[in-house]
Amino acid sequence: MIDFLKKDILVIARDRTELIVLLFMPFILIGILGFALRGVLGGDTGELNMDVAMVINDNEQVGIEKFSEELHELGFPEEVHTELQVVASEISPYHLLTNMLEEESLQDMIHVMELGEEEAEKELMDGNIVAVLTIPENFTYDSLHKMLLNQGDGSNLQITVNDYGSLYASMFQDIIDGFAHNLNFETAISLTLGENTARESTIDRNLGGTETISAGEPINSFQYYTIGMAVMFVLFVGATISSKAYVEKRNHTFNRILLSGKPSYMYLGGKTISAAMITLIQLVILFSLSTLIFGAFRGKTIEFWLGMGFISIVVALCVGGVATLLTSIAIRLNSDSVSHIFSGGLVSLFAFVGGSFFPTSDMPAMVATIGNWTPNGAALTAYLQWMQGLEMSTLISPLSRIVGTFILLLIVSVFIFPKRRSASS
Amino acid sequence: MLETEELRKIFKGKTAVDGVNLYMDKGESIGLLGPNGAGKSTTISMISSLVKPTSGDVRLHGRSIIKDPTNMRQVLGVVPQEIALYEELTAYENLKFFGRIYGLRGKLLESKVQEVIELVGLKDRQKEVVTTYSGGMKRRVNMAAAMLHEPEILIMDEPTVGIDPQSRSHILETVRELNQKKGLAVLYTSHYMEEVERLCDRVYIMDHGRVIASGTKEELKSILSGEETILIDLDRQHPKLFKELEGNKSILQALETEKGLKLIVPKGSRLLGTVFQIAERHHAQILNVNVQIPTLEDVFLHLTGRKLRD
Ligand SMILES: Nc1ncnc2c1ncn2[C@@H]1O[C@H](COP(=O)(O)OP(=O)(O)OP(=O)(O)O)[C@@H](O)[C@H]1O
Ligand SMILES: [Mg+2]
Repeated sequence: MIDFLKKDILVIARDRTELIVLLFMPFILIGILGFALRGVLGGDTGELNMDVAMVINDNEQVGIEKFSEELHELGFPEEVHTELQVVASEISPYHLLTNMLEEESLQDMIHVMELGEEEAEKELMDGNIVAVLTIPENFTYDSLHKMLLNQGDGSNLQITVNDYGSLYASMFQDIIDGFAHNLNFETAISLTLGENTARESTIDRNLGGTETISAGEPINSFQYYTIGMAVMFVLFVGATISSKAYVEKRNHTFNRILLSGKPSYMYLGGKTISAAMITLIQLVILFSLSTLIFGAFRGKTIEFWLGMGFISIVVALCVGGVATLLTSIAIRLNSDSVSHIFSGGLVSLFAFVGGSFFPTSDMPAMVATIGNWTPNGAALTAYLQWMQGLEMSTLISPLSRIVGTFILLLIVSVFIFPKRRSASS
Repeated sequence: MLETEELRKIFKGKTAVDGVNLYMDKGESIGLLGPNGAGKSTTISMISSLVKPTSGDVRLHGRSIIKDPTNMRQVLGVVPQEIALYEELTAYENLKFFGRIYGLRGKLLESKVQEVIELVGLKDRQKEVVTTYSGGMKRRVNMAAAMLHEPEILIMDEPTVGIDPQSRSHILETVRELNQKKGLAVLYTSHYMEEVERLCDRVYIMDHGRVIASGTKEELKSILSGEETILIDLDRQHPKLFKELEGNKSILQALETEKGLKLIVPKGSRLLGTVFQIAERHHAQILNVNVQIPTLEDVFLHLTGRKLRD
């Protein structure tokens, strides 16, 4: 079967269109989506320089305390309560905001000073600063409510500018917008998984076991979309392999293979392995490029990568199954229309419900459930959970769903594949 | 060595091959002739076990290979009618792959690939992708791929369709050498009569799924031994003249050719005078007259009433 693998890889490597779809497109999309949901960070900002003022009407400490008191009253179990409290202070929105503004890339560009309300207004009028960012009362409390409990309307940051159309002013606005967006986005992710972990942890406690509750490391948009696009574009490998198989049938190289006496299961198995290997290669390239260029997984541990590798192998096998099924159908029907339907519509649909474009937590519960049963959706969950630092054991559920799908696909494929010696024109 | 017995294939109610009996001895060179749709390719596909016969049997050394074609695989090399190659790979890569699926490895594989590629005269261009080849070059690689595993029997399905005269004569010469020097048995399918005349010891002529005549070239030609062919070149086409000759009882068969007419007449019938007279009456100018002994083409015409190619 290694013979088939070598040939399949060569054939695909010579096809520029396929390469673009499999490697280049996901990468571009990671870039577009990653940036879009990040605001205008990075880029060529060297020469831009602005002073802004921050007016703080919120008391962070009080907000956190008030929030945690309320948690207590809501009757959360002690453990959850403590945990949420820790989380609350860790991801206090004020904290995140100042962190972001002090981030290296922004520090060179934006100089923030803390001023009183009147003073800030005066500076703005005098043209000494380009914008005033007002943090409203109860900002911490309201945001935490929204982020962690999904209650209330959250809070609104207010930006006051003097010269509305100025480049600086609008840039600053973009950055803060991006932040707000990102905040909602990241918390949405934490929330999805938060629910999961809460469930997992109850089970653990029933077993009298360890504490696995974790808020999860927040996932940034580049990480999210690297995974999202990866689990989407691996599906195209299935379509590619099967349409190449159809070409083999059409140009009679398939007959040549049969003539050599290779049993048909070996041909099919060859497709499974080829698709799996190509998927692995694709994932390695995507993850590496995304890390090199977008810094998606910079500085991660070996252990992290081992886990990612393990999940990727499972995912690759499943793609092998998809390729095998599509190949069986293509050879059986003597047509590659099914591959086209798959790559032209089904992949996007799968990707959508699987959460490749935005987190399924933002979608109706039913869609999210269906999404979790798609192999790519399950794969996405597995990756995200691992990235958030959850135990491998929590990943068993999505991973076993993927393996199950793989086995099912193989069985159906063998069933569909024409038995030895079909009529060939 | 190889034989078929009452081989029959019906595709959805349409009979493509209708009770074909062939046999082939070791080292023999057999021609399978027939017009488009005669059933040649289908017969070959059944022999090589790509298509399952509706009924009948294929035997190798007396053993049926319908149920278990494994013995057949190593013995048989098939050059399909289509170019069965990976267009995006080079000739070298194609041959390497096809060699590997026949179980060749390492040095042996490498030397076999070089051997067949030299045989078909493409050593210099083996590292170019197939897409960039001419039709003739593709045909040659197509043939090379069937010979990597040193088959005892080579089945070629119209290996010279649509290619330039040089490639064609290169392929023919190669096959002849393999047959005569290495004792490779060849089953050669074509609708080019002259190829078969040049290459093959025995010939089967197929039409409408049946073998309508078979034997050595001489045997087949003797079917027409009592006849001769008159080729007449005319200044232009004369349909009325043709009509009249066609209707003439002494002329066995009349046919319009590119240059003029072709008549098959009984030997010694002395019809030339009559023909000249009729031509005169139709104001046709005769440029050249040639009397020939019959070719296989004429035999085919005689048997089917049709030309091999349109
Ligand atoms: N898979 C198939 N399904 C239905 N009909 C078929 C199939 N393969 C061949 N036929 C029919 O069987 C008949 C014989 O076809 P075949 O290809 O064997 O002819 P051939 O002698 O090789 O002709 P050619 O010189 O054009 O290659 C044709 O009428 C063809 O339409
Ligand atoms: Mg044919």
